[in-house]
Amino acid sequence: MNPLLRRLRHDLFATPADGLITLALLGVIGAGASSFLRWAFSQARWAVIQANSTLFAVGRYPIDQQWRLWLLTALLAAATGITWGMLRSHPRPDRGGTLWPRNDRIAVGLLVALSLLLPWMLGLSPSVQLRWLAITAVLVLLRWLAGRFGPLLPGPFKRLLPLGLPLLYLIGMVLIGGGLGLASVSPSEWGGLLLTLLQSSFAILLCFPLGVLLALGRRSELPLLRWGSVLYIEFIRGAPLITLLFLGQNMLGFLLPGGLAPERVWRAAWVLTLFAAAYLAEAVRSGLAAVPRGQLEAARSLGMSMPQAFASVVLPQAMRVALPSMVGQFISLLQDTTLLSLIGLMELLGTARTVMANPAFLGRNAEVYFTLAVLFWCCCAALGLGSRALERRLDPAAIARSG
Amino acid sequence: MSQPSPSILSSSATPPSDVMIDARGVQKWYPNGYHALRGCDLTVNRGEVVVIMGPSGSGKSTFIRTFNALEDFQKGSITVDGITLSDDLRHIDAIRREVGMVFQQFNLFPHLTVLDNVCLAPVLVRKRSKAEVREQALALLQRVGIAEQADKYPGQLSGGQQQRVAIARALCMEPRILLFDEPTSSLDPEMVREVLEVMQNLAADAITMVVVTHEVKFARQVAHRVVLMAEGEVVEVAEPEAFFTNPSQERSRRFLDQIL
Repeated sequence: MNPLLRRLRHDLFATPADGLITLALLGVIGAGASSFLRWAFSQARWAVIQANSTLFAVGRYPIDQQWRLWLLTALLAAATGITWGMLRSHPRPDRGGTLWPRNDRIAVGLLVALSLLLPWMLGLSPSVQLRWLAITAVLVLLRWLAGRFGPLLPGPFKRLLPLGLPLLYLIGMVLIGGGLGLASVSPSEWGGLLLTLLQSSFAILLCFPLGVLLALGRRSELPLLRWGSVLYIEFIRGAPLITLLFLGQNMLGFLLPGGLAPERVWRAAWVLTLFAAAYLAEAVRSGLAAVPRGQLEAARSLGMSMPQAFASVVLPQAMRVALPSMVGQFISLLQDTTLLSLIGLMELLGTARTVMANPAFLGRNAEVYFTLAVLFWCCCAALGLGSRALERRLDPAAIARSG
Repeated sequence: MSQPSPSILSSSATPPSDVMIDARGVQKWYPNGYHALRGCDLTVNRGEVVVIMGPSGSGKSTFIRTFNALEDFQKGSITVDGITLSDDLRHIDAIRREVGMVFQQFNLFPHLTVLDNVCLAPVLVRKRSKAEVREQALALLQRVGIAEQADKYPGQLSGGQQQRVAIARALCMEPRILLFDEPTSSLDPEMVREVLEVMQNLAADAITMVVVTHEVKFARQVAHRVVLMAEGEVVEVAEPEAFFTNPSQERSRRFLDQIL
């Protein structure tokens, strides 16, 4: 018998009961898939997405300034390409690596296909279609160049290269918001995916150091610091995010003199950050608890100071343990940004609601929500993939197994 | 090693007499009220190897962990290489730089390679150049017989190899004193010997060592003096031959009956 058939038979039809279950499930899946496909290709009117694709992407960002976002996208693609290539050209010393593993070739193929298909499906103008293709080309080209020639770069330059990522974040902020000679674009004009990614990346980046400090504070021997941290963490974890968001919008205005209260968008970003920090602190705490006491003792007995011991010995190990739950936090943080629509911000969900309120697109809710779900799924899947790659890179047990 | 070492020093030779550790009347209570150390005295001279034996729960590990302030104590005084242990954190850090410790559970840093385990503290604490420390670390790994494992991670090594890395890691700080807290107790029998051999070589280089162990043969061959502890007290301090053949205390005799 054909090995494929044999395997199918073994996996799906080993006993009569297995066979029945398989058939029943196939029926359910088939029915679901066919009705979904019927909806997607004959009933759904995707014009609502095509007509509003810019709105979903960047909200009401001024059209004459949108070149700045294109530039930022290109820069992000370049940074992604360089990082990717450098990682592949510098495999860990104990593990050989090829420059183009199979998954990377598949990823590049998917990327090129998407950059060809998606702009076309969205009905974008040929020049915009070309722009997306060019951005993908930049990414793939730099991926190739960095992989091929990255190792030849001088050492100091290579060590400084990672600093480019935080720098890029700052450049991105300037490009989006203005300053340094660029016309200012008020945060109230940011929207859509742009605002969602901005809010979540801001909160993710800042809640990380805050969460680590809170976790350390919770274990501190100074009572005031310890109780302060515990109080903060427990208060934040005991209150629903939406309450805190409303509180932030209303109370900061009272607490700070008029001019000092940050703009609405930033207020929300800070509330998200402070909220996520409390949860992150708990993840980090569980990581710290997983590091055996002997590690700190060994570091201290070698003469390291407490900060040195934590920075070089305890935290790296704690982070590795905490990483999966931290990424879980980041993913829910990304999804929690949808709550911002309730305080009137035009992030993805807020934008979607204005689109659905437009009489021209009445009754097209399913198309809009489906698109939203797919967009969020893509972002979360990217976070998950990144974290799993990082986990493998940090895990000495995996290194030991492969060695 | 950086210390000038009269490298052949038989166990019968009298070690130089300047005092490296001077512990007097050390008493410790755990927070739950347990009286772990009940007035322990011990003097360790430069270049001397002192082996501490005793039944489990006798306080021997606790005692040597007070020498580098991993455990605090409530009464008595400890002076290490002329520095008096007190609550002053600068004193504690100064002492820890000069006192190396090897643990029962090795406590290697699992996220760093063997070489980085050895190099980390000298670079961070002593602010020495990476290249220079690396060279010394490789020489030390050579000396403990695992230079070829330098780029592996601790999890890839056997217990005996890990403990030898831990010894190299302690040595790379160029300590004046090495404390060993049951260094072979969690090793498989066939790995005990490779670790003891390394320790024996160190002793021959006149490094001051305090060793908590149950290895009678090691104590007999290498120690200058043997200490017996029981119930948180130092029961007997004697030269190894005298201790093992003709202990002066009844408690020592009972202990030896059990282990010999």
